Amino acid sequence: MALARFTKPVDGTIPVPALLYDDEDVVTNQDGVGIYDGSVKSPLHQTGVLTLTSHRLFFISVPTPSDSFSLDLSHIVQTDYYAGLLRSSAKITLRLNASTDGKTDAVSGDSSEDGEWATWECEVCGNRNGPGLSPAKAAVCSLCGVPRAISSSGSTTPRALPSQAKTSLTSTSLPALTTGGAGSPGSSPDGSSDIIACPACTFHNHPSLRVCEICATPLPRPPSSNLAMRSLTASPAPSAALASGDASSMRLSFRKGGDKAFYAALKRALHGKRWQVTKTTNTRPYNTQDTVAGGVSGIMTSVQNNAQQRNTSISTALSDLEALMSQAQHMVALASELTEQIRVAEAKAKAEGRGSLSDGTEEGEAANFIQTSLAQLGLSMTNAPVTQDMMKDERKWMEELARELSGLTQQERKKTSGIMRGRGIVALDEVWGGWNRARGVALIPPSTFLQVLALLPSYTSPPLLMRTFPSGLSVLHTPRYTHVAFTSRLSSLIALSGPRTTLEVAREERVTVPLAGEMIAEVERDGEICRDEVQIEGPFGGGRDVRWWINVFEDYVWDGQQDT
Amino acid sequence: MARSTHTTPSGFLLPSIHSAEPFFTQQPNPTTQSKQTETWSRLILSYARHRNLFFVRVEDAETAGGEWDEILRNERIKRKVMPPHLSHILSEMVAKNQAAYEPPKQTRSVLLYWRLPEEWAEVLHQWVTSTGQLTTILTFYEITDPPVPSPLSGIPAVLLRKAIAILGKTGRAQIISIADGEGARFFAATGK
Repeated sequence: MALARFTKPVDGTIPVPALLYDDEDVVTNQDGVGIYDGSVKSPLHQTGVLTLTSHRLFFISVPTPSDSFSLDLSHIVQTDYYAGLLRSSAKITLRLNASTDGKTDAVSGDSSEDGEWATWECEVCGNRNGPGLSPAKAAVCSLCGVPRAISSSGSTTPRALPSQAKTSLTSTSLPALTTGGAGSPGSSPDGSSDIIACPACTFHNHPSLRVCEICATPLPRPPSSNLAMRSLTASPAPSAALASGDASSMRLSFRKGGDKAFYAALKRALHGKRWQVTKTTNTRPYNTQDTVAGGVSGIMTSVQNNAQQRNTSISTALSDLEALMSQAQHMVALASELTEQIRVAEAKAKAEGRGSLSDGTEEGEAANFIQTSLAQLGLSMTNAPVTQDMMKDERKWMEELARELSGLTQQERKKTSGIMRGRGIVALDEVWGGWNRARGVALIPPSTFLQVLALLPSYTSPPLLMRTFPSGLSVLHTPRYTHVAFTSRLSSLIALSGPRTTLEVAREERVTVPLAGEMIAEVERDGEICRDEVQIEGPFGGGRDVRWWINVFEDYVWDGQQDT
Repeated sequence: MARSTHTTPSGFLLPSIHSAEPFFTQQPNPTTQSKQTETWSRLILSYARHRNLFFVRVEDAETAGGEWDEILRNERIKRKVMPPHLSHILSEMVAKNQAAYEPPKQTRSVLLYWRLPEEWAEVLHQWVTSTGQLTTILTFYEITDPPVPSPLSGIPAVLLRKAIAILGKTGRAQIISIADGEGARFFAATGK
């Protein structure tokens, strides 16, 4: 009985978070719960998951999700806790208030069908309010805070018409309501015609406004009773008299425990009264305080508040990031310190003639552990990256950077480990990326990188030079790949083994095809070589094959027909 | 890469560069390209003189079977001149006064000046003098298609008119309109 009267069926196949209002939060949940309707077991609701939110209590039935329901927390007036004894499991008894039941039937009962998941347009500011707000919030416009007028929406949208008919129908059928709230059904049709003219600018304001929408001047109070009061005047339904203790209570049986934690959470949620807090602050801001909350200025304020909130959250996020960066710096400092210590210890060990540290002693194990963990963190560098605060002046900083880069590009121990990877020519972006990856922190901006490159040849042997192709591609290369060296090598290649395609040259030089193309194009620009293009007929439209020749025109002397 | 000269069926001696593949590709390098275009211009003019040809069209590079096939194609190395390349060569020739667009205001066909109009004027005057036809009126047809083959056989009317106009400037010829077309009368050189 209590179940049928107070709960609303929900679709249990939809996860609970998707069913929530925008301003509703999940508090806790518990599985293995059964429901008692009054004091008898409800046969359909014996195994399920109970989810407590800030506004409602959801019961999702596990065997038959279609039997799931939700219960508004506002109905609960009292809770009792029973700890359980022997085979009887712990239970929470919820006593439900019958008087609120009638009110929700009249006010939010209809809105739960077409209001809750439908959009509506505020007739004052024209803001389109989206679905998904709790009944309390959905009753007012989210932008200007003006209560949603049932009468006006009834006259504009045909869908709301039956709802108004229903309201009047219930009021006539319930004698207590008609007497208690006599003014309420009549006041709303009257209210729409009862326009308030602003004493300052004569603008015709909506009756629910307390200040002028245009100039924010306080408006004279309308004589008729006010909309916000209506819901409060609703009187208890006559059925409340019939309600015995059984009819207005239900029990939650915790078959798998978790009862204590859930009860505590439920208490907290009931105490917090989130559903009411939003209602009181939003339904009557005009009666109580700030005159700026309404009208155009009110809208402006709310927009400004939103922007301010966004700014605050962004700056918080950024400060988090900065904190993280400073943490990273600490890590690097620690890493370099540890490496230094290991080195000192190793030197000492050597001096004492004990050989390497990693020979099974306790110290050696510790050193090994430190080294491996540093390597896992990506901080295993032989020396920490040079940062600008270590250096006194710009010039010294650049020189140190150049030394660091030269070490990276020309690691002698393993041919493959350096950035060059044994190649003679490498694109600048790859060097930059590789360097910054090796540094890990205190990354080098491209502008500094370019400045360092100018110093690089004096720190490398053989000198690494920079070269920019006409296409804009910049590379670092060994002397073997200078323009002159490449030109002579290409010329002799062609002279020895005949015309070559770019692909063949790339293979010969062990560079990528586009890079070979760039270098050859530069030689061609010098006029050292010339091209022979052949149109190749292929199954896919064919293509063009370019073969490179020694410049046949360069020293050509006419040897054809002599004119007579 | 031993390349050699080659004699065509029409008895024209092709230069050795004609059997080099890059010769048929338009070179992007400006220096190389100017050298290439220069060689092509010479080859075209030389061949035109050999075959007594006056016109070359871009279409000659597009379709086989024309009178220019011997130089615009080289079947031995499977190469041919691409139409855009030929078009470029022709424009360079016009710029160097080795040819003129004919008809004017288009770029698909040129009249080749393997002899300049001034040179043609001299040749014409010499021929008229040597055949004793001074002061007689000659129709264009009689000049371009004489019973005894002359150096002027087959000369296009456009070029002939230009030559006569040049002679007219020095008073050695005069264009006369006659019943069935145009004619010209030639005079002995005055003051020479």
